Amino acid sequence: MKYYKFGNKNGRYIGSNNKYDVYENTIASKIPENNAIIEKKPYEIYFNYGPSAGGLRESVNFSIVTPGETIRDITVNSHYKRRKIKIINDDINNALLKIERINGFHTASNTVCFLLAIEDALDIDNTGSNDKRIIEIELERIRSNIDVIKGLCESAGFSVPEKQLLYLREKITRIISDTFNHRYFFSANQINNVCGNFNKIRLNGIYDEFYEIYNSLLESKIFMDRIQENGIVNDINSSGPAARASGYKYDARIDSESLTYDNYNIYTMEEGDTFSRFMVRSNEVLASINIINKLLREIGNGKNNTEIKNNSGEGTARIESPQGDIFYYVNIEDNKIKDLSMVSPSYLNIELFKKAVKNNNILTDFFFVWESFGIWVSELEVDFI
Amino acid sequence: MILYYLPLILIFLAAIISYKFNKTGYILTAIASIIFSVFTFKIYDYITYFYLIAAIVWVITSLFSITYSKNYGKWLSPLFILTVAGMMLILYSANFLVFISGWEIMSIPAYLTVAINKKNDIEAYVFMFFSEISTVLIITAGVLSFYYTGTLNFVKINNDIVLLIFAIGAMSKMGLTPFMISEWLPIAHGSAPANSSAIFSATMTLMGVYGITKLALLSPESLYVGILFIVIGIISVLFGALYAYISENMKSLGGFSTIENNGTILSVTGLFVAVNNSILRTFILITIVIYAMAHSIAKTGLFITVGHTGSEYFSEVNNIKDNENSLGKFFILSSLSGLLPSLGGLATWMVIEAFFMTAFLHGPLGVTAIIAGSLIAMGEGFATAAMLKIFYFTNRGNKKHIKYESHIILLNGVILVLLFIISPLIIGRYYISGIPSVLIFNGFMIESKFSNADFGLISPVYIFILILIFTVIAYMIFRKPKIRVSERWNGGIENNEYYNSFVYSNNIRLILKKILRTKYENNELIQTVDLFWLVMIDLAGAYRKISKYIAYKFMNSSISMYLIYMIFAFVLIIIITSVVY
Repeated sequence: MKYYKFGNKNGRYIGSNNKYDVYENTIASKIPENNAIIEKKPYEIYFNYGPSAGGLRESVNFSIVTPGETIRDITVNSHYKRRKIKIINDDINNALLKIERINGFHTASNTVCFLLAIEDALDIDNTGSNDKRIIEIELERIRSNIDVIKGLCESAGFSVPEKQLLYLREKITRIISDTFNHRYFFSANQINNVCGNFNKIRLNGIYDEFYEIYNSLLESKIFMDRIQENGIVNDINSSGPAARASGYKYDARIDSESLTYDNYNIYTMEEGDTFSRFMVRSNEVLASINIINKLLREIGNGKNNTEIKNNSGEGTARIESPQGDIFYYVNIEDNKIKDLSMVSPSYLNIELFKKAVKNNNILTDFFFVWESFGIWVSELEVDFI
Repeated sequence: MILYYLPLILIFLAAIISYKFNKTGYILTAIASIIFSVFTFKIYDYITYFYLIAAIVWVITSLFSITYSKNYGKWLSPLFILTVAGMMLILYSANFLVFISGWEIMSIPAYLTVAINKKNDIEAYVFMFFSEISTVLIITAGVLSFYYTGTLNFVKINNDIVLLIFAIGAMSKMGLTPFMISEWLPIAHGSAPANSSAIFSATMTLMGVYGITKLALLSPESLYVGILFIVIGIISVLFGALYAYISENMKSLGGFSTIENNGTILSVTGLFVAVNNSILRTFILITIVIYAMAHSIAKTGLFITVGHTGSEYFSEVNNIKDNENSLGKFFILSSLSGLLPSLGGLATWMVIEAFFMTAFLHGPLGVTAIIAGSLIAMGEGFATAAMLKIFYFTNRGNKKHIKYESHIILLNGVILVLLFIISPLIIGRYYISGIPSVLIFNGFMIESKFSNADFGLISPVYIFILILIFTVIAYMIFRKPKIRVSERWNGGIENNEYYNSFVYSNNIRLILKKILRTKYENNELIQTVDLFWLVMIDLAGAYRKISKYIAYKFMNSSISMYLIYMIFAFVLIIIITSVVY
């Protein structure tokens, strides 16, 4: 393990899974969470939304404690779709197929992080694939951020920008498909290698189109009214765009060595509201296009060295997925997975969402706050067995 | 002569009898009330309409009390009847002395009723404090009247100061302390058993209206006093309706609704005092009595509806529907919301018409009238929301022993509809007409007009008949609607959660949080505090502090300081008296 060691808290908090609490530099034993059920007052009601309701793309239930209109507290129940993945004792290639399918929308983040952890465990020099992986992750970030902004437009009933953003999302997806032969990067990643024809990536049109939609949204007073001063949260234990929207310069592109970015400038806002998260994500779309364009000028299409020195070891990796830090820990014996752990950015984001949504918000603010975090419940319930 | 006062004798007798035989006492009260209205009510003599209103309320509440008061001990019925007796004395009064005697006979049993039925004394003391303020001011008005006219009888006065002081006293009793909504009335009215709350809210405040109207008829027109009444009334309407909407105690809701209704009556009375056009004044006077009639009878209905639930708070009601109760409630609450076909609908229409007609007088009064009319219409909107709250959250099961109470609620509702239908018979002929060319025959239409100008019109009989015909036709075509009841979809989760009254009205708590001072305490509690009540408590606290300070610092066992104080007070009184003379 080049980058991590087991021990006590060291550095910022990344998140937890059912075994570990993960920090910036260390993996610590998990401290049990306090999941007390919220008691309602006599005048309040539990307002249930989900798990099977319109407007939700995953099975999740929100139990909102409300005295009417305002949200006093909220419980998020994400356990409706348990995801026990039989992966222990699989060989690496078989495990990779399963990792790719944890969250199709964020396959690149999951597989790249997993492979980086494997390469750390087996002591493989992966510098040759660093830039290609960055291009892959940034393409995924563009698509994911556009999807989150589309969700905000949908919540506001802004059908035109919503459809425009859906069109852009599809355009990006087709570029991914042309480049990697799969719309969601399936089979594109291998140990120390990314299979793709990078010459097919052309993003300048997307930059202009997105910039125009983004500016139009900024000029809409109605849209601004709905997202400004809504869902405010400022928490030192945060991650990804939500952290950067509150002024924290947290970004694995800067503070993790798993993937090496060259001179990346972090965009931050201070307010911590839905608007700030919108701004951070929008600017990161533009920044990602610039990163890709710069890297495309530098990389070649040659294949990297896939020589494997060891067949056992422990490794970790942490990269900046579109939603925040994603972390993988692997333990390999004889090229088989002996232990595997993942910390999803959705873990911290869901905690932040709970704090944000009960911070002086009413029920109609709910969707904006929820969409602004871009949470994927499927990742939360993953349990490797 | 003795026959004329027979109801008074009967009711005092009923008060004594009821200590032992409360059922008999209540029946005797109902009989005395009927005789009282027969002897005193005169058509087109609008001041006597108050007698009819009071009698209807007393009959309904007495009948309701027969079953209702079973759980409240032996003292409730004599105190209830004595309060009614005091009111009857007020209505009989031809001079200030009898009026004030009646005022106190009405008030003292009321304090006792609250005191006996509440564990804390505070409600009774609050009630007593504000009521006695009104008594002091009414006595002052009586003394001034004697000074100006040389008699204590109710006679013409050429000065508006008597009306002003009397009105401020009566307002205090009506919950309309000048420029503030005070919580005392809902606290006091909400703390008594429902039958007493009903007469407190419906007829005790009516006595204030009666007194103000009586003096307004005897006083000269006064633009400034009129506008002052309108302003105080409007503030009361808006805040009364708002607080009613957010109240969780059902009887307090009724109390706030009373403030709202009394605010409207006071505004219209202000219009009466300010306007100098005789035709318009008569229309306004009719508006006052029709509105008072609608308010008093419907408010009685509201309180007996609340009493029928057997609970004090919305959260305690079992919410099982009873059709008879629902129908009665529907008419009662329609009336309080100012909706047709009920007397309240007609009364609200008349109020708005009166204000908008006055706008044609131009000048400061015209402008005030336009603004006031619009604000009253807004207040009525809030009131509708409050009444819907009562309608939805006060259902009670169909048990045998409370079936009788449902009959009374239905009777109350039907009376409001009947009074609406026959209203053209009790409104002055000048305002009654028809348009035969469109089949509205003469005598069936109420017209708001003054000078040569016509304004709005309404035909209660036609409205009722049309609603009835369309209802019957709809029923004959579609019959009883086939309703398919299905389980609620709650996202696929079993949860016995129901929408409640607090949640229903929380939107206004949040929208108007600056006014209503809605706040979370420790991120958990929501409290709404009446701003005016807080200011008053602060003032009272400051007064006590100063008194204490003076008592300890200057007058503490010091005879000389006390004597200085006495001499100073004496000189001050002499100066004031000399200035007045």
